[in-house]
Formats: sequence, structure tokens, C-alpha cells
Amino acid sequence: MVFFLEQLVNGLTVGAVYALVALGYTMVYGVMRLINFAHGDFFMLGSYVGFTVLVKVMENAALPLWLTLILTTVIALASVALLGVFVERAAYRPLRKSSRLTAVVSALGVSIFLQNAAMLIWGARYQAYPPWASPTAKWIIGGVTLSLMQALIMGVSLVLMVALYLFVQKTTVGAAIRATAIDHDTARLMGIDVDSIIRLIFLIGPGLGAIAGVLLGLYYRQIHFTVGWAYGLKAFTAAILGGIGNIPGAMVGGLLLGILEMLGAGYISAAWKDVFVFLILILLLMFRPTGLLGERVAEKV
Amino acid sequence: MKKNRSGLLLLVLMVFALSLGVAVHAGPEPIKIGLQAPITGPWAYEGEMARNSVQIVADEINRAGGILGRPLEIVLGDDQGSPKQSALVAQRMLSEKVVAVVGTYGSSVNDPASAIYERAGLVNIAYGSTAEKLTEQGRKFFFRTCFRDDRQGSFFAKFATDTLKAKRVAIVHDNTTFGKGLAEAARRPLEAAKKADLVFYDAITPGERDFTAILSRMGKTNPDVLYFTGYYSEAGLVIRQMRTLGIKATFVGGNAAINDEFVKIAGLDMAKGALMTQEPLPKDLAYPESKSFLAEYQRRNKEIPSSPWPVYAADGLKCIAAAIKAAGSTDSKKLADYLHDKLEDMPGITGPISFDEVGDREGAIYLAYQVTADGKFVPLQ
Repeated sequence: MVFFLEQLVNGLTVGAVYALVALGYTMVYGVMRLINFAHGDFFMLGSYVGFTVLVKVMENAALPLWLTLILTTVIALASVALLGVFVERAAYRPLRKSSRLTAVVSALGVSIFLQNAAMLIWGARYQAYPPWASPTAKWIIGGVTLSLMQALIMGVSLVLMVALYLFVQKTTVGAAIRATAIDHDTARLMGIDVDSIIRLIFLIGPGLGAIAGVLLGLYYRQIHFTVGWAYGLKAFTAAILGGIGNIPGAMVGGLLLGILEMLGAGYISAAWKDVFVFLILILLLMFRPTGLLGERVAEKV
Repeated sequence: MKKNRSGLLLLVLMVFALSLGVAVHAGPEPIKIGLQAPITGPWAYEGEMARNSVQIVADEINRAGGILGRPLEIVLGDDQGSPKQSALVAQRMLSEKVVAVVGTYGSSVNDPASAIYERAGLVNIAYGSTAEKLTEQGRKFFFRTCFRDDRQGSFFAKFATDTLKAKRVAIVHDNTTFGKGLAEAARRPLEAAKKADLVFYDAITPGERDFTAILSRMGKTNPDVLYFTGYYSEAGLVIRQMRTLGIKATFVGGNAAINDEFVKIAGLDMAKGALMTQEPLPKDLAYPESKSFLAEYQRRNKEIPSSPWPVYAADGLKCIAAAIKAAGSTDSKKLADYLHDKLEDMPGITGPISFDEVGDREGAIYLAYQVTADGKFVPLQ
């Protein structure tokens, strides 16, 4: 039982990161019907910006740790969100009227560009977050180890996800996002500025990715310019699992994926965990192609 | 607008003239030697160091007038640490008409390229590919300046039971040709000697970051020693996550784990005391050839290689150069014959080099290294 609970905690931690990244996929898909393959790289850039801020600025700033972490996250969030808007303007907007395939190819191009840019800026080596930045406290509750970092990751993700959900469901801007997701032209007729809605989506998605990136760096400490691809693929799977285009779906998908992975690795074999994850994805696509919570896309198609 | 265009035209003409000039003024035709290495991708740092190392040897030979009166030219092929890319690099090397190839780092990456070189009859000398199966395929043109995994595996088995007095051993590999090969090579002598029990044997997926699930499962078997045969990028995470979970087993890494980045990723507090089975590191090489090579490397790159592999790459080029010189020809078949039969204790940077009939380097010296309290790797006394 202790073993099971331990895997559950580990799974929820990994799943929370997947979920944060998956939100970016799902929001962009929901509004633009575009699978933004560069999204994983925004996540990667977030972890690198966080790394640079910690090493170059915060090391000498002598601020309390909590303030350091908040400032680092905010800087990473802001710079990656701005980059997201810029990428949308440069690589996606000119192609909005073209076929969907063109936009996907453009997204892949952006992904390769960002990865290589990161390699040239920060070098091809693994970089490691400074040890002083990660809180090391941990609790052992009934034999189950829960570290402060794990709690932090789960807590931050939960707060962000609830906030995003409320924002989309309860505010006027949220209603405009939902309307744009259903139909761009009709939304425009209703007086919604579709361009600024899309810009907003590209602020929020990469921004959330950047926060996940900083959390990842603090938790595992090791970062690399290829990390975006690996996590991007998992998050993309999580988005599909929950039903792409569906915000609560991405959260459920991410958490579920994390838990499945950890239980697979814990009880069967770590070498096989990706096999189980993608097997479940294939079964899901065969029997419930819209994902667990995804009805809206099916409705539209 | 018009002015711009004529400027562009001028530029194009100039570039064209320049390239013509180069072609006309070149002296004796250079001998092209390939270097296949992971210049980008997850092992890019290893590739970068290999490129630096090989260039030093090439420059040295060229300063001394080249070989057979011709300068050496290194043709770089970036295999990105990927087996698929590796095959493409091999094809490119053939079309570039190189006379021999140094490379590459990873065993699984080496395999497809080496098969292509074999068909084309091109000498290729690996510098970091240590998997046993590479020399078990009866290839005539494949050599390696690094040592084979089974020698390291036996060293670990003896070290774990005799020096560390371990009774319960866990082995975790990363499912790469190399990692799995070394794990198997350690498992066999361990089980044959019957001095310790193998209580856990499993694999992780490289590129992953979270190994807590497999490590908690390993922790339940209560091992005295964990032998991790993957690369430093994962090894740092493994030791860190294992200590966080409260597992006290002695960590022993294979020779892909030893790298400064291991300490950086694990954090000094966690990495301290970790052991590695390893060929002597560049800093611990005591031959005159190694001293002058490392001084030059230090002068050019402000540091010496942190892993031994780049030095094996430099030795690979030395072997090729010696073979061309002795054979008086760049014919790959003659080079292969020379390397197999005649090359005897050539003074390499990593010590005397001879190859056996399958292309493996003869002899082998392994040491146990330990991470000190200030994060350095020193041989265990």
C-alpha cells in the first residue's frame, strides 16, 4: 500500500507538469485547430530562462528563497509568453488562411529553430539548476515520502489550472475565447477581435509552459535543449487523452498519464512504461476517438 | 533597387572567383579522413571534445609536413547520437571519398554506420563504442581504440564482491546497446562467481527524467550496491532520486557516467562518495604523448577533456596516420591489414596500442574512481 501511494504521489507530480504543458496544446488547438508542435520548446525555453535568471541574477541578489523563486518564475513566464506572441505573429498568422498542414509544418520549423537557438545560446551540454534554488524539505507521512518540491509542483499546477478554468468559464474574455473556438467568423460578427483572442491564447499557453519548465528545472535540476520534444510528446498525448481542445480534459489527461506511467514503471518495468502509455492512447483512439472528455471537437466536425 | 541588384551580382561573382582561386591554388591533394561524432544532440558535448581532439592530432601531422607529402583534411560528419543519422553520415563519408573514418561515440549509433563502412571496405576506428557485439560480427574493417565492455563488467564483478564486500547487488541499465551490454557483461561474472546475489535487474528509458518508480521498487530489494550502466545525464538523476527516496546502497556507475556534469546534475551533496568503473581519465594518463597532447588541448580550449573518449578519438587518427605511413598507401584494405597484423604497441596518447584479430584493442586497464568531497574524480587507492 505504501508502495502504491508513493507511486501515486510521484505520478501526480509528473502528471501535473504534463497537464500544464498539455493546456497550451489544447488551448491553441481549441481556438485555431492547429497542433502547435513548437509548444514543447516554449516549455524548454522556460526552463532555460529560469536557469539563467537564477544563475546570473538571483545568485547575488540575496533575496529570500520564496521571493527568488517567484521572481524567477515571473521573468520566465513573461519572456516566454512574449516570445509566444511573437512566434504566432511571425509563423502562424500569415498562414491562418492556408491549409492546416502548412501550419503544422511551420510549427515543426519553429520547433527546430527554437531548439537550435537554445543549443547555440546555452550550449549543447546538460545544464544544472543551482542546488540552493530547490527547497529540499520533505515529509514522510505513513511511510510515503512527499517532498516540498513535489507539493509545490502539484499545488502550483492545481492553482493555475483552476484559475484558468474559471477565467475561461466565468469571465467575458473567457466567453469570447469560447466563442472564437467555435467559429472565428461568427465570433468576428459578434464584435470579437479574433486576432487579439489568438494573441491572448499565445500569451497564456507558452506562459504556462514556461512555469512548468521552471518547476521541472527545480525538481530534476537537469535541463537540456531536447527536453521540449520529450515532454511535448507526452503532453500532446495527455491532451489527446483528455480530448484535445478541452481544458479540463488536458488536466485530467496529464494527471492520468503521469499516474499510469509511474504505476507501469513501478509494478511492471520502467523500460516498458512508454509502451503502456502509448498503448492506452491507441486503444482510446480506437474506441473513443474524442478522448475522455472531448465532445466539442466531435460536435464541430 | 537596381544598385542593390548589381551589388548582389558582384558578391556572387566574387564568391565564385574565390572558390575558383581556392581550387587552383591548392597544393598536393589532401588525404581526407572522416570524423563521425555526435556534434549535436544529447551527447553533443562528447562530440565537441572529440572534434577538438582529432583536430589537434591532424594539425600536428600537417605541421610536420603531412603524410606521404600530403596534408590531412578532417571531414566532419554529425551523427547527432542517432542510429538513423549515423547511416546517413556513413553514406556521406563514402561520397566524400574519405580513406578512413574515426568514429563514433555510442555503440548503438556505431552499428549501422560500421555495417556500411564494412560493405564499402573502409577502415573505421571507433573511439567510444564499447559494446561487445560490435566486434563479434566478424567485421574486417572495424577497429576500436577503446576497450570492450566485458573487460569492464568483470572488473565490476570483482570490485563489488572483493573490495566493496557486497552481498546484494542491483544492476540497472538504460536499454541502449552500450548500457545493456555492460549490464550483461557485469551480470555474467557476478552470477558465475556466486559471491553475491543479483537482487534486482531492470532498465530505464534514456531521455526520461523521473526514475522514482523503478528506484522505489529497487529499494524494496535492499541492495548493498547499485551498478548503473547508463550515461551521466541519467546517472546524475538516478543517484539524486535514489538518495531522496532514502536508499543507502553504494552507487557505482559505468564508464559513461563519469563526467563533471554528473556531479552538477546530482548535486555535490548527493554525488559525494559515488564510485565509477573507468579507464584512466585524461588527467591520470602519464605517457609523454598524453602530457603534450593535453597541454595543447588545454591551450586551445581552456580545459582538458573531462571524459576519456575524445582522447581515444585522437588515438584513432594516430593509428590511421601510422597505417598510411607504413603502408605507403591510402588503400583501405592495406590499412586494415596493417592495423590487424603489423601495428604493435604504437605509442598512443592512451598508452601502447595493438589490435587483435577482430579489431579490439589488446590489454585493458580499469580503475575505480570516486567522487571526492569537492566534486573531483580520483582513482580509489
